Amino acid sequence: MAELVIGIDLGTTNSVVASVHGGSPTVIPNRSGYRLTPSVVALARNGKRLVGALARRQAVTNAERTVVAVKRLMGRRFSSKSLQESLSRLPYTVVAGERDDPRIVLGEQHLSPAEVSAMILTELRLDAEAFFGEPVTKAVITVPAYFNDGQRAATKDAGRIAGLDVIRIINEPTAASLAYGFGKTALEKQIAIFDLGGGTFDFTVLHMFKGVFEVEATGGDTLLGGEDFDARIIDWLAEPFKEKHGIDLRTDKMALQRLRDASEKAKCELSLLKQVEINLPFISATPKSGALHLQSTLTRDQLEKLTGDLIERCLGVCAQVMADAKVQAPQLGDILLVGGQTRMPKIQDAVKTLFAREPSKGVNPDEAVALGAAIQGSMLLHEESDMLLLDVTPHSLGITIAGGFFQKIISKNTTVPTSAHHVFTTVKDDQVSAKITVVQGEDEVAAKNELLGEFMLTGLRKAPRGAVDIDVIFDISADGIVSVSAIDVQTGVRQSITVTASSGLTEDEIKSAAKSNEDWMLGQKEDPDFQDRKAKAEELFREFEALWPRLTRAAQNGLGQEPLQRAQAALSVARLQVAQKESEGLAGSIDRLERMLGALKGAVERGLGQEGR
Amino acid sequence: MSAAARSAGGGIDLPADIQRELRDLESRGDALSYYRLLGLTADVDSPSIRRAYLEQSKRFHPDAWYRRDLGEFGPLLTKWFQRMAAAYEVLSDEETRSAYDREHLSELSETDRLAVEQRALSRAEQDRREVERRARLLRTKGFARVGAARSLYEQSLTFALNGERMHAIGALKAARELDPNRKEISARLVELEREQAKARAASALLSGREREVQQNWAGAQSAYVNAFQLDARNASAALGAARSASAAGDAQTAATWAARAVEIQPDDIGSRLLLAKLLAAQALKTRARAELKIILDKVPDHKEARALLKGL
Ligand SMILES: Nc1ncnc2c1ncn2[C@@H]1O[C@H](COP(=O)(O)OP(=O)(O)O)[C@@H](O)[C@H]1O
Ligand SMILES: [Mg+2]
Repeated sequence: MAELVIGIDLGTTNSVVASVHGGSPTVIPNRSGYRLTPSVVALARNGKRLVGALARRQAVTNAERTVVAVKRLMGRRFSSKSLQESLSRLPYTVVAGERDDPRIVLGEQHLSPAEVSAMILTELRLDAEAFFGEPVTKAVITVPAYFNDGQRAATKDAGRIAGLDVIRIINEPTAASLAYGFGKTALEKQIAIFDLGGGTFDFTVLHMFKGVFEVEATGGDTLLGGEDFDARIIDWLAEPFKEKHGIDLRTDKMALQRLRDASEKAKCELSLLKQVEINLPFISATPKSGALHLQSTLTRDQLEKLTGDLIERCLGVCAQVMADAKVQAPQLGDILLVGGQTRMPKIQDAVKTLFAREPSKGVNPDEAVALGAAIQGSMLLHEESDMLLLDVTPHSLGITIAGGFFQKIISKNTTVPTSAHHVFTTVKDDQVSAKITVVQGEDEVAAKNELLGEFMLTGLRKAPRGAVDIDVIFDISADGIVSVSAIDVQTGVRQSITVTASSGLTEDEIKSAAKSNEDWMLGQKEDPDFQDRKAKAEELFREFEALWPRLTRAAQNGLGQEPLQRAQAALSVARLQVAQKESEGLAGSIDRLERMLGALKGAVERGLGQEGR
Repeated sequence: MSAAARSAGGGIDLPADIQRELRDLESRGDALSYYRLLGLTADVDSPSIRRAYLEQSKRFHPDAWYRRDLGEFGPLLTKWFQRMAAAYEVLSDEETRSAYDREHLSELSETDRLAVEQRALSRAEQDRREVERRARLLRTKGFARVGAARSLYEQSLTFALNGERMHAIGALKAARELDPNRKEISARLVELEREQAKARAASALLSGREREVQQNWAGAQSAYVNAFQLDARNASAALGAARSASAAGDAQTAATWAARAVEIQPDDIGSRLLLAKLLAAQALKTRARAELKIILDKVPDHKEARALLKGL
């Protein structure tokens, strides 16, 4: 059988896991039966780690120990403007780590964003294992196309911490296009993907030809998404309240969480309705007037006014990317809408006007990204696939040169993998080291771009100045991750390079986090009740086995195959749970198997299984 | 893993024909033109260039042989795929492709040189026919003019799609003459012309950079000036001209260019600093001081500016 590989859309708001199963890409429902898992992690009052819908549900009463939108923190420096901007909106506490990296305070622990993301990934991995009834280790994880090197590296680290072999990081819009183009390898078409999720916006122009997907240009904004739409509603509610009662609800964590939930709900409802009521009783209180309630009516028109500039920002990105791809809007063969926020009618209208056509209905906006990731996994690992993805690097890469200027070495929208050289010449006699500052971005002034890292070239050959040339090689992998190496041109000796300014996790930190995550998974499974449940489950396995011949007969005599298939699926889940010591899950399985057994016995006894009937 | 491929290459899991091609590329690939690298002759049209590149990608992109045992062929695959991608990058734009053709005419094989000349000829011929056709359409009278304009407009879309920007512009100009009231025609025309100027400026900028790296200051300066003339809002071009003039020892010209860069990007500290230095070098102390003060206004703790100001 083909090697199992899963595709994971690790979203700001929601995550999805999928796999190519029996030749077709399928979303894997989580263990509660849902296809979307909220990207939320919490530390419950009883000290338990909660992930997904459970974590999200308790957010209102436990806002400070509930981590949402961790993706906004991935790979960023604590002091960076973008991170500080995000922090003002997040209900939990983030402090600076040793290397100017953000650390999330969750109870006693100070966790890196990668560790928190790893918890979400672990959850999805366990969902996939429960679905397949066997261990899953290989994964393709998606990131917004506009993620820089640090953000990609952090995502890869998160995967490793979750015990996954991340065979590739791919761009979300590209993944969506794979889902769109799957099975249509004969098609030649130029398409665009408009992806507006909870926290990020991406726009990509891509050309499909005989199964090759060539990204022509990509761009976006990592700080523009559905949450910004929510924030406009929050302000619209909170400002008059402040005026009237002198209380800013946004400074009260619990009230803010309720406002946030209500705003998001109203926003989503306005995608279908023309107006909605927002009702938040007991939102605050004053000694004088007692309990305060908030009640308002929001219309679709009003929402559109509040968020018009956000939509304009999206359209601005589209124009830039189309210019980069040298294409005009009406030439595109299809427009894919991806991301929950594209359900807003105003956005669909804006897209329709800009491109002078109806957006494609060919992909599911919530699932396309995960499906595409699964397809890429299968393209890489499975021989029979004749699809290929040619993706590009979203940012120019270069170094800082004299005067603080940015010297471009690799241009944005270059197909990856790619590499480029730059020759350094010593400027002093007997110079033994040199510093290279690597940045990503488009600005002429280096400091205005994103600092990727500082590299020290050490142990240079002693010689008069100008006599030592060092060839520095910059590689961008197919994951979009940058690596730097150097060679002494005259002697051919490989030069050692150390990274001196990076906010990423060290190898040791990743290993130790991976170990503690694994311990957690095992700890999950070591439950005092486990032995009892195991015994009970094994008894059930035996009973099913004994009943099976009569069941197969019953299946032919009118019962049908379906109940048997369901029983078989439940049995294999339970077997895996026994093998992996998943005590709680097993308890649920036992319940289910007992009910099934009862029903099936009944059916057999009613005569369906008798011979000769 | 595929058994066929295995048996072909003694433990190496890559089809024999690709192994052969890689070896061949290693031995003579450096001498191949971009066209030959993509398996093309120099007379091909744009869509065929893209198709050829994509077909080659299917065979040479490292992902096509992901996690296979490629032995010594692994790095070769990456290297030659990257070269093909670079070749495609240049040949896929009309502007950069003609520049490549011009600069490499002597390196092309006899047949390719003929093909390039042929293509230039046939382009001229096509141009002539296009012009004729447009002239004919322009003589259309009455209501039919609107229809003719539409057909020209649609044709311009196809031209643009194939990377033939010049033809697209020609068609649009004729369409505008036929139907001056159609907004999208003039809008598209403006867009395309701007794009063309930008592409030319970008290509000039690129050769400026190349020459700067080679320390060919005069060459760099003229390329940057050229880029600036094509796109007068391009601060990089002005700054590049300033840098190269300064490196060539012509502080006066350099200062003029730096001043232009500052004019375009008043907030850019780097250009202003360069300007200040150049003014100081010409003993224009008052002006230098004024520029340094502006810098310190914007960035009060700018060390270099402060030190320079002290020195004056
Ligand atoms: N029906 C809807 N109308 C408007 N916005 C919606 C709707 N459904 C979901 N959203 C918004 O979409 C965003 C989540 O989209 P999603 O694609 O899941 O995000 P991400 O990829 O960032 O995880 C949220 O901001 C959510 O409020
Ligand atoms: Mg998403």
